[in-house]
Amino acid sequence: MTVNAGTVAVRAEGLSRRYGSVRALREVDLTLGRGITGVLGPNGAGKTTLLSVLATVGKPDAGRVRVFGLDPGDRAERVEIRRRLGYLPQELGYHRHFTVAAFLDYVAVLKEITDRRRRTEEVARVLAVTSLEHLAGKRIRTLSGGTRQRLGIAQALLGGPELLILDEPAAGLDPEQRLRLRELLSNMPGDPVIVMSTHQPDDVAAVCQRVVVLLHGQARFTGTPAELAATATGHVWTAGQRDQRAHLSWRGGDNRWRHTGDHRPAGAETVVPTVEDGYLLLSHRPSVR
Amino acid sequence: MTSPFPDSPGAPPPPAGSGHTTEDLLSRYATGAIDGLSAWSVEAHLMACARCRAALSSYVDARRLARNRSMILVRTAIPAGGRVRRLLRRCGIPDHVVSLLAATPSLRPSWILAVMGVLALVVGETALTSHGWSGHGSSGAPWAKDYLAQWTLVPYLLVAPLLALAGVAAAFMPMFDPSYQLTVAAPFSGFALLLVRTTSALSAALIPTVCAGLLLPGPRWLPAALLLPSLALCAFALAAVTIVGPIAGAVSSGVLWAMPAVLLVVTAIENRSPLEIVQWRGQAACAALLLAATVVFFLRHDRIESGPDRFGIRRMR
Repeated sequence: MTVNAGTVAVRAEGLSRRYGSVRALREVDLTLGRGITGVLGPNGAGKTTLLSVLATVGKPDAGRVRVFGLDPGDRAERVEIRRRLGYLPQELGYHRHFTVAAFLDYVAVLKEITDRRRRTEEVARVLAVTSLEHLAGKRIRTLSGGTRQRLGIAQALLGGPELLILDEPAAGLDPEQRLRLRELLSNMPGDPVIVMSTHQPDDVAAVCQRVVVLLHGQARFTGTPAELAATATGHVWTAGQRDQRAHLSWRGGDNRWRHTGDHRPAGAETVVPTVEDGYLLLSHRPSVR
Repeated sequence: MTSPFPDSPGAPPPPAGSGHTTEDLLSRYATGAIDGLSAWSVEAHLMACARCRAALSSYVDARRLARNRSMILVRTAIPAGGRVRRLLRRCGIPDHVVSLLAATPSLRPSWILAVMGVLALVVGETALTSHGWSGHGSSGAPWAKDYLAQWTLVPYLLVAPLLALAGVAAAFMPMFDPSYQLTVAAPFSGFALLLVRTTSALSAALIPTVCAGLLLPGPRWLPAALLLPSLALCAFALAAVTIVGPIAGAVSSGVLWAMPAVLLVVTAIENRSPLEIVQWRGQAACAALLLAATVVFFLRHDRIESGPDRFGIRRMR
C-alpha cells in the first residue's frame, strides 16, 4: 500500500542504529500517512528503537527522518514536532505518589498547556476517553498494571496530538481493555497519524490500515494487513497428520493440524491465510539482504 | 386534564402566570444565559418546587453536565488547594511551575527528611564534640583563636555543599525522574525545566543548611560563608553536564567537592585554622568558579534543550 505524496506525515530513509555490537535498525525506509500503522515484530526486532527515533527521543546513527516535513535534528523544528506529538514509551515510569489527575496535569504542563482551566479541561477529556474518570483521585502506586497502561495512553492523548506514537499500547491490558483500546484508536477525533508497535498480529488485523514487519532491525514488509495475509496464500494447510517440514504446525481444537510452510503435506487442505500466517511465514524465511 | 401527580418528575413546565418558573427562564437558567438576580430567584423557587426541578432536567445539556462533573473530579484530585501550593502561588510562582515542582525529587518529603537527618547528625556531633564530651573539648578560649574547637566544624564544612550538590544532581540525573522519557518527548524547554528543578533543589538544601549552621557553636558568619562554595559547586556541575553529560558531570563535581578535603589536610599539617578555606581567598576562588561555570552553562544551554538522547546531542546525518 503506497502513501499519497501529499498526505505523507513521516518519512524515514536509511535509518540505522547500533547498540554496541547489536544492530537495532538496519537501513529502514518508511513512509507513513494518516491512519493507523502497526509495527509488527518479535521482541528485540528494533520496534522500540524505531518508535523512539520517530518520537525524537532516540537518534539514529545514520539515516534521515522528516516528520510533517520537519527535521528532528534542528532544535526549533524538533520542538515543533513535539508540539504535535503524543508518545507512549514502552516502559513508562510514573511518579508513584501522584494522583492520576495530578500526573496528567504535570504532563499537560510539559506539553505547554500552561493555562490552568484549559489544562483541567484537557485532563478531564482524556480521563473520559480512557474511562479513568472514577480513578482521578487515586494514587498511581495503587493502580494495577493495566490501569497504569491506560493512564500512559491517556497522557499521550493530551493536547490532541496529530502524531500518536504508541509503543506496545496493548501490553498489560485484559481482553476487554484491548477491545476498548481498538475502539479508542479507531474513533480518534482529527484523524491523527498513529504508529503503534505490537507483537500481536490480531491487533494489526483489527485496526491498522498499514503494517510494517520489522525483523532483526530490517523492515521486511510494508503494506496493508490484507497484503501481509496474502503473502501466505498457498502456504497454509490443515491436515490430519503433523508435517515435519512445516515452519510451524499445531493441532487445533478439531484435532486437525494447521501447517504454515513451503511444502504442502500429503492430503492437506489449503486454507485462507490470516495476518498471523503471513507474519509467521515471513519471520521464518531468511532475509533477502 | 390536569395530572393527578402535579409534582411528579417529568411533568411539563407550567405556563407563565401559574406561579412557577417559566419555560424560558428554566431554559436560560440551564444554559447559563441568565443574569445573577434572575438566577437567584429561579434557585429560590427550585428549592421549594419539585415540579420545576423535574422540568429543569429536560433543559440540561447532558454532555455539558458530564464535562462539568469531570472537571470537578479533576480539580478535587489535583492538590491545588494545598498549603504549600497556595503559599508558592502567593509568592508569585505561576500555577504551572508549581505543577512542575511537584515532580522535583529534592522536594519530596523523604528527600527533605534525609537532608534534615544529615544536618541533625552533623550539628549534634559538632555540639557534643565542642562541649568536650568526646575528648576534644573546648579549652574555653574564644572561637576565633581556638583552632581545636574550630576543627569540630569540619563535618559541617564538608557536608553543606554536598547536600546542595546532591539536590542539584537529582534535578538533572535521568534516574531520578521516572517519567524522564516524557520530559524528553515534550515541547517544554528542557533548560527551563532544569532551571526550575535546580532552583527548588537549592532552596530545599540551602535553607535548612543555613538554619543548621546558626545552631552550631561556631562563628555567626559561617552559614553565609558556605553559600558561595555551595553555589559554585552546583554551577560547576551544571556546566559539566553541558559538556560531558549528566553522569560524568555529577562525578566530576564530586571530585571537585573533594578539594576542600585536601585543603583541610593541608591546613591541618600547617597547623592553621580550617575556617581559612571559607575565608576571603576561598570565597574569591569560589566566586571565580561560579562566574565561569555560569557563563559556560548559559553559553552551552542548547545542549540541555532536550534533543535526541537529551544530553548527547548529535545532528542526524
